[in-house]
Amino acid sequence: MSEARPHGDGLPNPGWGPFAALPGNPLMWVLILSELLVFAAFFALYAWQRAAAPARVDAAQRHLDPLMGGLNTLVLLTSGLAAALAVEAIAAGRRRHARRWLGAALGLGAVFCTIKGLEYADKLAAGLTPETNLFFGFYYGLTAFHFAHVLFGMALLALVTWRLSTDNVETAAAFWHLVDLIWILLYPLLYLLR
Amino acid sequence: MTTLPGARRLLIAWATLMVLTLVSMLSARLEEAAQWQALPLWSAGLVLLATAFKAHRLLMVYLNLRAAGSAWRGAFVGLLALTLALIAGGYLAARWGISPG
Repeated sequence: MSEARPHGDGLPNPGWGPFAALPGNPLMWVLILSELLVFAAFFALYAWQRAAAPARVDAAQRHLDPLMGGLNTLVLLTSGLAAALAVEAIAAGRRRHARRWLGAALGLGAVFCTIKGLEYADKLAAGLTPETNLFFGFYYGLTAFHFAHVLFGMALLALVTWRLSTDNVETAAAFWHLVDLIWILLYPLLYLLR
Repeated sequence: MTTLPGARRLLIAWATLMVLTLVSMLSARLEEAAQWQALPLWSAGLVLLATAFKAHRLLMVYLNLRAAGSAWRGAFVGLLALTLALIAGGYLAARWGISPG
């Protein structure tokens, strides 16, 4: 059920050098690569700090709810599927379907934000703030940075639902998948590995 | 030509991602999380393996890097491998009491 879409000389972005083979706006891929590197640097810093004080980090980590994190992983990955199906739909010229899938991706993004908000509220009510200890400094820092990406991704999805085109949808979907990818890595790092 | 993955491949990838997420959660022995025992190494290894496979599927199918050429595939998979190595290294260093300071 693969679909093919012709592009000038056979590449999605002819004239963009090494970025020519990537779908959507090449500048989005520059952003995606740089964001991945930034998160990798934060992960390295967390790993370093955790190794320096493992007992304190383990003691703090037990206050997180891995089931909530897991639920959010399932929600975000399903939202990613909706974004990918929107790309399929717009490439096939099914604009109404594309809008519907983008709406589904946005809705699931909102569910993710709601669950995360409830989790933050629960932690803050328990007196666990970014200043509580090293682990919660990283927990709030990393998840809030990711949360900001979710909000930006939702704004992009909303924008391309309004200004619907193949290139726009591919660009927004690529960023949305970056948001997925970072959460896939954050979830075991903060919630599961103990 | 850019070949999109197609709805069937996307649905299979999504189902795989759902199953692997549940495998991660089970591997992390969430039923024991209340007692908060350290994970056995095989269990932590399974969590990381499931994470690696999930990230790979996401890159290749959702982001459609399978259609983007071997250089880009290699770059992203290399960056993913480096990130996972950092996560695994930090976890093992903490488990084995190897302090950087």
